[in-house]
Amino acid sequence: MIHWLQKNILHLMKMPAEPQPPDGSGGSARVFRSGRNYYRWRLALWFSANVGVVILLAAVLFGLARTIKAGPPWSRLIAEALMALLVTAFLVSGVFTFLQQSMNYELRWYVVTDRCLRIRSGILNVHEITTTFANIQEVRLSSGPLQKLLGLADVEVHSAGGGSGKGSSDSHVARFEGVDNAGEIRDFILVRLRQYRDSGLGEKDHSRLLAFSVESQAAAQAVLTEARALRAAFAQR
Amino acid sequence: MPGYPIPPEIARLERPREQLLTWYFLKALATVFAFPVTMLLFYFRYHTMRYKFDEDGIHMSWGILMRHEIMLNYSRIQDIQLHSNVIERWLGLTRIEVQTAAGTSDSEMTLEGLPNPEAMRDFLYSRMRGGHTAAPAPANAAPEPLQAVLLEIAFELRSIREVLEARKT
Repeated sequence: MIHWLQKNILHLMKMPAEPQPPDGSGGSARVFRSGRNYYRWRLALWFSANVGVVILLAAVLFGLARTIKAGPPWSRLIAEALMALLVTAFLVSGVFTFLQQSMNYELRWYVVTDRCLRIRSGILNVHEITTTFANIQEVRLSSGPLQKLLGLADVEVHSAGGGSGKGSSDSHVARFEGVDNAGEIRDFILVRLRQYRDSGLGEKDHSRLLAFSVESQAAAQAVLTEARALRAAFAQR
Repeated sequence: MPGYPIPPEIARLERPREQLLTWYFLKALATVFAFPVTMLLFYFRYHTMRYKFDEDGIHMSWGILMRHEIMLNYSRIQDIQLHSNVIERWLGLTRIEVQTAAGTSDSEMTLEGLPNPEAMRDFLYSRMRGGHTAAPAPANAAPEPLQAVLLEIAFELRSIREVLEARKT
Protein backbone atom coordinates (compact mmCIF):
# COMPACT_ATOMS: atom_id res chain seq x y z
CA MET A 1 0.00 0.00 0.00
CA ILE A 2 2.66 2.46 1.05
CA HIS A 3 4.86 1.42 -1.87
CA TRP A 4 2.01 1.81 -4.33
CA LEU A 5 1.29 5.27 -2.93
CA GLN A 6 4.96 6.25 -3.09
CA LYS A 7 5.31 5.04 -6.65
CA ASN A 8 2.35 7.11 -7.74
CA ILE A 9 3.50 10.17 -5.87
CA LEU A 10 6.91 9.92 -7.48
CA HIS A 11 5.36 9.54 -10.89
CA LEU A 12 3.13 12.54 -10.27
CA MET A 13 6.12 14.61 -9.20
CA LYS A 14 8.05 13.65 -12.34
CA MET A 15 10.93 12.41 -10.31
CA PRO A 16 14.06 12.08 -12.47
CA ALA A 17 15.61 8.65 -12.71
CA GLU A 18 18.42 7.45 -10.50
CA PRO A 19 21.60 9.44 -11.20
CA GLN A 20 24.11 7.79 -13.49
CA PRO A 21 27.87 8.24 -13.24
CA PRO A 22 29.13 10.59 -15.95
CA ASP A 23 30.66 9.34 -19.19
CA GLY A 24 34.17 8.04 -19.14
CA SER A 25 34.09 6.80 -15.60
CA GLY A 26 33.95 3.23 -16.81
CA GLY A 27 33.51 0.74 -14.06
CA SER A 28 35.08 3.02 -11.49
CA ALA A 29 31.79 4.36 -10.18
CA ARG A 30 30.72 3.43 -6.71
CA VAL A 31 27.41 4.40 -5.19
CA PHE A 32 27.23 5.10 -1.48
CA ARG A 33 23.93 5.31 0.36
CA SER A 34 22.84 6.70 3.67
CA GLY A 35 22.95 4.25 6.54
CA ARG A 36 19.77 2.45 7.61
CA ASN A 37 19.90 4.37 10.85
CA TYR A 38 19.62 7.60 8.90
CA TYR A 39 15.97 6.74 8.30
CA ARG A 40 15.48 6.26 12.04
CA TRP A 41 17.27 9.53 12.67
CA ARG A 42 14.95 11.33 10.25
CA LEU A 43 11.94 9.67 11.86
CA ALA A 44 13.13 10.85 15.25
CA LEU A 45 13.41 14.40 13.91
CA TRP A 46 9.97 14.10 12.33
CA PHE A 47 8.52 12.79 15.56
CA SER A 48 9.99 15.51 17.76
CA ALA A 49 8.81 18.19 15.34
CA ASN A 50 5.32 16.73 15.43
CA VAL A 51 5.28 16.56 19.20
CA GLY A 52 5.95 20.29 19.16
CA VAL A 53 3.09 20.84 16.74
CA VAL A 54 0.72 18.72 18.83
CA ILE A 55 1.48 20.77 21.92
CA LEU A 56 0.91 23.99 19.99
CA LEU A 57 -2.30 22.63 18.46
CA ALA A 58 -3.62 21.52 21.84
CA ALA A 59 -2.96 24.98 23.26
CA VAL A 60 -4.79 26.64 20.36
CA LEU A 61 -7.78 24.28 20.63
CA PHE A 62 -7.96 24.76 24.36
CA GLY A 63 -7.91 28.53 23.94
CA LEU A 64 -10.61 28.39 21.25
CA ALA A 65 -12.82 26.16 23.37
CA ARG A 66 -12.58 28.58 26.29
CA THR A 67 -13.37 31.67 24.27
CA ILE A 68 -16.41 30.24 22.50
CA LYS A 69 -18.07 29.16 25.72
CA ALA A 70 -19.02 32.75 26.33
CA GLY A 71 -19.96 33.54 22.71
CA PRO A 72 -23.26 33.14 20.88
CA PRO A 73 -24.22 29.73 19.34
CA TRP A 74 -23.23 30.68 15.73
CA SER A 75 -19.69 31.52 16.76
CA ARG A 76 -19.49 28.10 18.32
CA LEU A 77 -20.23 26.51 14.94
CA ILE A 78 -17.50 28.50 13.23
CA ALA A 79 -15.01 27.67 15.93
CA GLU A 80 -15.81 23.97 15.76
CA ALA A 81 -15.38 23.98 11.98
CA LEU A 82 -12.06 25.76 12.42
CA MET A 83 -10.96 23.17 14.97
CA ALA A 84 -11.89 20.30 12.65
CA LEU A 85 -9.99 21.97 9.82
CA LEU A 86 -6.89 22.42 11.96
CA VAL A 87 -6.92 18.81 13.13
CA THR A 88 -7.42 17.43 9.60
CA ALA A 89 -4.68 19.65 8.23
CA PHE A 90 -2.37 18.40 10.95
CA LEU A 91 -3.22 14.74 10.30
CA VAL A 92 -2.85 15.04 6.52
CA SER A 93 0.44 16.89 6.73
CA GLY A 94 1.59 14.38 9.33
CA VAL A 95 0.96 11.47 6.98
CA PHE A 96 2.65 13.19 4.06
CA THR A 97 5.70 14.29 5.99
CA PHE A 98 5.94 10.74 7.36
CA LEU A 99 5.99 9.34 3.83
CA GLN A 100 8.47 12.03 2.91
CA GLN A 101 10.95 10.74 5.49
CA SER A 102 11.27 7.29 3.97
CA MET A 103 11.29 8.69 0.44
CA ASN A 104 13.95 11.21 1.34
CA TYR A 105 16.03 8.37 2.75
CA GLU A 106 15.56 6.17 -0.29
CA LEU A 107 16.04 8.88 -2.92
CA ARG A 108 19.57 9.79 -1.99
CA TRP A 109 22.60 8.79 -3.97
CA TYR A 110 26.25 9.54 -3.43
CA VAL A 111 28.08 8.48 -6.58
CA VAL A 112 31.88 8.52 -6.57
CA THR A 113 33.92 7.74 -9.67
CA ASP A 114 37.65 7.93 -10.26
CA ARG A 115 37.49 11.62 -11.16
CA CYS A 116 34.26 13.10 -9.92
CA LEU A 117 31.47 12.81 -7.45
CA ARG A 118 27.79 13.33 -7.94
CA ILE A 119 25.26 13.71 -5.17
CA ARG A 120 21.50 13.63 -5.64
CA SER A 121 19.00 14.35 -2.92
CA GLY A 122 15.58 15.79 -2.29
CA ILE A 123 12.02 15.05 -3.29
CA LEU A 124 10.07 18.26 -3.73
CA ASN A 125 13.24 20.13 -4.49
CA VAL A 126 15.55 17.83 -6.35
CA HIS A 127 19.16 18.86 -6.01
CA GLU A 128 22.08 17.32 -7.82
CA ILE A 129 25.70 18.41 -7.55
CA THR A 130 28.57 17.22 -9.72
CA THR A 131 32.15 18.18 -9.02
CA THR A 132 35.55 16.82 -9.97
CA PHE A 133 38.32 15.84 -7.61
CA ALA A 134 40.52 18.40 -9.33
CA ASN A 135 38.33 21.06 -7.76
CA ILE A 136 38.00 19.67 -4.28
CA GLN A 137 39.64 21.68 -1.54
CA GLU A 138 38.85 19.82 1.63
CA VAL A 139 36.94 16.94 3.15
CA ARG A 140 35.21 17.21 6.52
CA LEU A 141 33.58 14.68 8.76
CA SER A 142 31.08 15.68 11.37
CA SER A 143 28.59 13.98 13.63
CA GLY A 144 26.63 15.09 16.66
CA PRO A 145 26.23 13.07 19.85
CA LEU A 146 22.90 11.55 18.77
CA GLN A 147 24.20 10.74 15.32
CA LYS A 148 27.24 9.13 16.88
CA LEU A 149 24.97 6.95 18.96
CA LEU A 150 23.29 5.79 15.74
CA GLY A 151 26.66 5.29 14.04
CA LEU A 152 26.04 8.05 11.53
CA ALA A 153 28.18 10.89 10.25
CA ASP A 154 28.10 13.53 7.54
CA VAL A 155 30.95 13.80 5.06
CA GLU A 156 31.26 17.25 3.56
CA VAL A 157 33.31 17.78 0.45
CA HIS A 158 34.15 21.42 -0.18
CA SER A 159 35.16 22.94 -3.46
CA ALA A 160 36.65 26.41 -3.78
CA GLY A 161 34.69 29.59 -3.53
CA GLY A 162 32.92 31.52 -0.84
CA GLY A 163 29.65 29.99 0.12
CA SER A 164 27.23 31.98 2.16
CA GLY A 165 27.71 29.45 4.92
CA LYS A 166 24.04 28.74 5.43
CA GLY A 167 24.65 25.20 6.57
CA SER A 168 23.16 22.56 4.33
CA SER A 169 22.26 25.04 1.61
CA ASP A 170 25.86 26.13 1.25
CA SER A 171 26.43 26.16 -2.45
CA HIS A 172 29.97 24.84 -2.69
CA VAL A 173 29.51 21.78 -0.53
CA ALA A 174 28.66 18.25 -1.51
CA ARG A 175 27.25 16.44 1.51
CA PHE A 176 27.20 12.72 2.11
CA GLU A 177 24.45 12.92 4.69
CA GLY A 178 23.92 10.29 7.33
CA VAL A 179 26.36 7.66 6.13
CA ASP A 180 27.41 4.82 8.39
CA ASN A 181 30.78 4.28 6.69
CA ALA A 182 32.16 7.81 6.82
CA GLY A 183 35.75 6.69 7.31
CA GLU A 184 35.63 4.47 4.27
CA ILE A 185 34.17 7.25 2.14
CA ARG A 186 36.80 9.68 3.35
CA ASP A 187 39.61 7.28 2.46
CA PHE A 188 37.97 6.53 -0.88
CA ILE A 189 37.97 10.25 -1.70
CA LEU A 190 41.45 10.93 -0.34
CA VAL A 191 42.97 8.21 -2.51
CA ARG A 192 41.44 9.88 -5.54
CA LEU A 193 42.51 13.31 -4.40
CA ARG A 194 46.11 12.20 -4.23
CA GLN A 195 46.56 12.32 -8.00
CA TYR A 196 45.86 16.06 -7.84
CA ARG A 197 47.99 16.76 -4.79
CA ASP A 198 50.37 19.06 -6.66
CA SER A 199 47.81 20.97 -8.65
CA GLY A 200 46.02 24.06 -7.50
CA LEU A 201 43.16 26.25 -8.54
CA GLY A 202 43.13 26.94 -12.25
CA GLU A 203 46.29 25.08 -13.07
CA LYS A 204 46.82 23.04 -16.16
CA ASP A 205 44.88 19.90 -15.85
CA HIS A 206 45.63 16.27 -16.27
CA SER A 207 44.56 15.94 -19.88
CA ARG A 208 46.87 18.73 -20.99
CA LEU A 209 49.75 16.83 -19.49
CA LEU A 210 48.62 13.77 -21.35
CA ALA A 211 48.43 15.73 -24.60
CA PHE A 212 51.93 17.01 -23.96
CA SER A 213 53.26 13.52 -23.43
CA VAL A 214 51.69 12.41 -26.71
CA GLU A 215 53.75 15.01 -28.53
CA SER A 216 56.94 14.16 -26.74
CA GLN A 217 56.26 10.54 -27.48
CA ALA A 218 56.26 11.31 -31.19
CA ALA A 219 59.60 13.08 -30.79
CA ALA A 220 61.05 10.17 -28.90
CA GLN A 221 59.76 7.87 -31.60
CA ALA A 222 61.72 9.89 -34.18
CA VAL A 223 64.89 9.52 -32.11
CA LEU A 224 64.31 5.82 -31.93
CA THR A 225 63.99 5.53 -35.71
CA GLU A 226 67.23 7.45 -36.07
CA ALA A 227 69.06 5.26 -33.61
CA ARG A 228 67.86 2.13 -35.37
CA ALA A 229 69.08 3.43 -38.72
CA LEU A 230 72.41 4.30 -37.18
CA ARG A 231 72.85 0.81 -35.84
CA ALA A 232 71.92 -0.68 -39.20
CA ALA A 233 74.52 1.54 -40.87
CA PHE A 234 77.20 0.50 -38.44
CA ALA A 235 76.37 -3.15 -38.76
CA GLN A 236 76.65 -3.03 -42.55
CA ARG A 237 80.18 -1.67 -42.60
CA MET B 1 39.87 20.92 -23.70
CA PRO B 2 39.86 24.38 -25.23
CA GLY B 3 39.92 24.46 -28.96
CA TYR B 4 37.70 21.43 -29.30
CA PRO B 5 34.57 22.14 -31.33
CA ILE B 6 31.27 22.50 -29.53
CA PRO B 7 28.53 19.98 -30.36
CA PRO B 8 26.20 21.67 -32.85
CA GLU B 9 23.07 21.27 -30.72
CA ILE B 10 24.79 23.19 -27.92
CA ALA B 11 26.40 25.80 -30.16
CA ARG B 12 22.94 26.48 -31.55
CA LEU B 13 21.41 27.27 -28.17
CA GLU B 14 20.56 30.90 -27.70
CA ARG B 15 17.11 31.32 -26.19
CA PRO B 16 15.48 29.64 -23.21
CA ARG B 17 12.37 27.52 -23.71
CA GLU B 18 8.92 29.09 -23.68
CA GLN B 19 7.99 27.17 -20.54
CA LEU B 20 10.33 29.44 -18.66
CA LEU B 21 7.89 32.30 -19.13
CA THR B 22 5.13 30.16 -17.62
CA TRP B 23 7.35 29.44 -14.65
CA TYR B 24 8.12 33.15 -14.30
CA PHE B 25 4.41 33.88 -14.38
CA LEU B 26 3.78 31.44 -11.53
CA LYS B 27 6.73 32.85 -9.63
CA ALA B 28 5.34 36.36 -10.06
CA LEU B 29 1.90 35.19 -8.91
CA ALA B 30 3.48 34.06 -5.67
CA THR B 31 4.42 37.65 -4.89
CA VAL B 32 0.64 38.48 -4.76
CA PHE B 33 0.45 42.28 -4.59
CA ALA B 34 3.77 42.92 -6.26
CA PHE B 35 2.65 40.81 -9.21
CA PRO B 36 2.50 43.63 -11.83
CA VAL B 37 6.04 44.73 -11.04
CA THR B 38 7.66 41.33 -10.76
CA MET B 39 5.86 40.05 -13.84
CA LEU B 40 7.11 42.99 -15.85
CA LEU B 41 10.67 42.35 -14.69
CA PHE B 42 10.40 38.65 -15.44
CA TYR B 43 8.85 39.35 -18.81
CA PHE B 44 11.79 41.49 -19.88
CA ARG B 45 14.24 39.09 -18.32
CA TYR B 46 12.80 36.27 -20.36
CA HIS B 47 12.69 38.20 -23.61
CA THR B 48 16.21 39.58 -23.33
CA MET B 49 17.85 36.39 -22.12
CA ARG B 50 20.52 35.14 -24.49
CA TYR B 51 22.97 32.28 -24.21
CA LYS B 52 26.08 31.61 -26.16
CA PHE B 53 28.29 28.58 -25.77
CA ASP B 54 31.62 28.96 -27.53
CA GLU B 55 34.91 27.13 -27.36
CA ASP B 56 36.13 28.87 -24.24
CA GLY B 57 33.08 29.33 -22.12
CA ILE B 58 29.53 30.39 -21.52
CA HIS B 59 28.14 33.84 -22.23
CA MET B 60 24.82 34.82 -20.75
CA SER B 61 23.07 38.17 -20.84
CA TRP B 62 19.72 39.63 -19.90
CA GLY B 63 18.02 42.87 -18.94
CA ILE B 64 17.28 46.24 -20.54
CA LEU B 65 17.43 48.83 -17.78
CA MET B 66 19.75 46.74 -15.67
CA ARG B 67 21.91 45.02 -18.23
CA HIS B 68 23.66 41.89 -17.07
CA GLU B 69 26.32 39.98 -18.89
CA ILE B 70 28.21 37.05 -17.49
CA MET B 71 31.04 35.19 -19.11
CA LEU B 72 32.80 32.26 -17.57
CA ASN B 73 35.35 29.75 -18.72
CA TYR B 74 34.54 26.06 -18.76
CA SER B 75 37.87 25.29 -17.14
CA ARG B 76 37.03 27.50 -14.16
CA ILE B 77 33.85 25.67 -13.28
CA GLN B 78 34.00 24.32 -9.74
CA ASP B 79 30.80 22.37 -9.63
CA ILE B 80 27.59 21.95 -11.55
CA GLN B 81 24.29 21.76 -9.75
CA LEU B 82 20.87 20.82 -11.00
CA HIS B 83 17.87 22.17 -9.14
CA SER B 84 14.23 21.56 -9.83
CA ASN B 85 11.10 21.79 -7.75
CA VAL B 86 7.86 19.98 -8.49
CA ILE B 87 6.32 22.75 -10.57
CA GLU B 88 9.45 23.21 -12.62
CA ARG B 89 9.53 19.49 -13.32
CA TRP B 90 5.92 19.57 -14.43
CA LEU B 91 6.90 22.26 -16.89
CA GLY B 92 9.94 20.26 -17.93
CA LEU B 93 12.42 22.78 -16.56
CA THR B 94 15.61 22.34 -14.58
CA ARG B 95 17.93 25.07 -13.39
CA ILE B 96 21.61 24.47 -13.92
CA GLU B 97 23.72 26.37 -11.46
CA VAL B 98 27.29 26.74 -12.53
CA GLN B 99 29.68 27.55 -9.73
CA THR B 100 33.11 29.06 -10.03
CA ALA B 101 35.53 30.01 -7.31
CA ALA B 102 34.36 33.63 -7.25
CA GLY B 103 33.35 34.82 -3.85
CA THR B 104 29.67 35.39 -4.35
CA SER B 105 27.39 33.49 -2.04
CA ASP B 106 24.89 32.68 -4.77
CA SER B 107 25.73 30.60 -7.76
CA GLU B 108 27.73 32.51 -10.33
CA MET B 109 25.52 31.59 -13.22
CA THR B 110 22.10 30.03 -13.36
CA LEU B 111 21.16 28.57 -16.71
CA GLU B 112 17.40 28.52 -16.90
CA GLY B 113 15.02 27.00 -19.38
CA LEU B 114 17.51 24.99 -21.38
CA PRO B 115 15.94 22.21 -23.46
CA ASN B 116 18.05 19.27 -22.33
CA PRO B 117 19.59 20.06 -18.94
CA GLU B 118 21.14 16.65 -18.41
CA ALA B 119 22.96 16.73 -21.73
CA MET B 120 24.12 20.25 -20.88
CA ARG B 121 25.39 19.05 -17.53
CA ASP B 122 27.33 16.26 -19.21
CA PHE B 123 28.75 18.72 -21.72
CA LEU B 124 29.86 21.14 -19.00
CA TYR B 125 31.27 18.27 -17.00
CA SER B 126 33.34 17.11 -19.97
CA ARG B 127 34.85 20.61 -20.27
CA MET B 128 35.53 21.37 -16.64
CA ARG B 129 38.89 20.82 -15.05
CA GLY B 130 39.52 17.23 -14.14
CA GLY B 131 36.36 16.03 -15.81
CA HIS B 132 37.68 15.05 -19.18
CA THR B 133 36.35 11.84 -20.53
CA ALA B 134 39.78 10.62 -21.56
CA ALA B 135 40.95 7.86 -19.29
CA PRO B 136 43.13 9.12 -16.44
CA ALA B 137 46.68 7.92 -16.12
CA PRO B 138 46.68 5.67 -13.09
CA ALA B 139 49.81 5.93 -11.00
CA ASN B 140 50.78 2.28 -11.03
CA ALA B 141 49.45 0.89 -14.31
CA ALA B 142 51.48 -0.26 -17.34
CA PRO B 143 54.49 1.96 -18.18
CA GLU B 144 53.67 4.98 -20.29
CA PRO B 145 54.27 4.67 -24.02
CA LEU B 146 56.87 7.43 -23.79
CA GLN B 147 58.75 5.49 -21.19
CA ALA B 148 58.68 2.33 -23.30
CA VAL B 149 60.03 4.18 -26.34
CA LEU B 150 62.82 5.74 -24.30
CA LEU B 151 63.79 2.32 -23.00
CA GLU B 152 63.93 1.04 -26.55
CA ILE B 153 66.12 3.97 -27.58
CA ALA B 154 68.47 3.17 -24.75
CA PHE B 155 68.58 -0.43 -25.92
CA GLU B 156 69.37 0.62 -29.50
CA LEU B 157 72.15 2.94 -28.38
CA ARG B 158 73.65 0.24 -26.21
CA SER B 159 73.61 -2.08 -29.21
CA ILE B 160 75.48 0.55 -31.26
CA ARG B 161 78.08 0.81 -28.55
CA GLU B 162 78.46 -2.93 -28.48
CA VAL B 163 78.90 -3.05 -32.27
CA LEU B 164 81.61 -0.40 -32.01
CA GLU B 165 83.33 -2.19 -29.17
CA ALA B 166 83.29 -5.43 -31.15
CA ARG B 167 85.05 -3.66 -34.06
CA LYS B 168 87.80 -2.32 -31.80
CA THR B 169 88.92 -5.67 -30.59
